[in-house]
Amino acid sequence: MPAVSQTVRVKVLFFGRLKEIAGQSEDSAEIAAGASIEQLFAAFASRYPELAKFRASLVASRNQEFAAWSTPLQADDEVAFLPPVSGG
Amino acid sequence: MTAPLHDDQIFFTREAIDAAALIGHVRAAEDGAVVTFDGCVRNHSHGRPTLYLDYEAYESMALAKMREIAAQIHVKFPIHRVAMAHRLGRLQIGETSVFIAVSSPHRPAAFDACRFAIDTLKRTVPIWKKEYFEDGAVWADGELPPVPAEAPARKSAS
Repeated sequence: MPAVSQTVRVKVLFFGRLKEIAGQSEDSAEIAAGASIEQLFAAFASRYPELAKFRASLVASRNQEFAAWSTPLQADDEVAFLPPVSGG
Repeated sequence: MTAPLHDDQIFFTREAIDAAALIGHVRAAEDGAVVTFDGCVRNHSHGRPTLYLDYEAYESMALAKMREIAAQIHVKFPIHRVAMAHRLGRLQIGETSVFIAVSSPHRPAAFDACRFAIDTLKRTVPIWKKEYFEDGAVWADGELPPVPAEAPARKSAS
C-alpha cells in the first residue's frame, strides 16, 4: 500500500498558567493522523517554548477523559493540557 | 427513558453558593443525617496575606468528573442524596468556594461519603485557582490527577 500522509485537525485547550503562556484558551492544530498527544504537545512547545518547562507537571486529556501521553489522536479530538488541579 | 437513579444536584456557579438550598435539597424524611463540607477562602497562603482568589475550570470535563464522584459515593456508601456546588470567578476572603452536602439514614455513611467526595474532588477535578497577594499572584500548588498508564513502546514492525 502506498504511504499516504494524512493530516487531521484537533482542538486544543489551555488552562491556568498554560493559558497565560499561550495567550489563548483554545486553538486548533493540523497533525499527522495517529500522532500522539505527546507529539501534539511538542508542536505547541516549539511555538511557545515556555510551555516545555511545565511538561513534567502536566497531565493530558482526550475528549474530556484523562489520557496517557502516548494516546494516538483522531480527527476532531479535543485535547487539553492540564496543570496540577487545585479546586476546592 | 428511565428516571435518574439519584436526585443529586451538581453544578458550577459564578454567584454566591446558597448552602441552605443545597442542604434542603438533600434532606428528606428518611434521612437521619446531613453532613456538609464548606470550603472557604482563607486569608493567608504560605504565610502571606491573600487578597482574593480567581477560580477557573475545564467546565464540561469538571462537571462530568464531579458527577462521577457522586456516582462513586452512592456505590461505596449507603447514602441518600448528594449536592455539590463549586464557585468560579473571583472570590473574596471568607466566601464559599465549594459546598458539598450528603444525606443518609445513618450518620457514618454521610461523614465518610462527604470526606471521600471533597478529597477526590481536590485530587481529580480540573479546577484551578490563582492566589492574589499585595505583591503579585501565583497559581496555587495543586495535585496531578492519576492518568491511564502509558502504552508500552511499540516494537518496530518486522
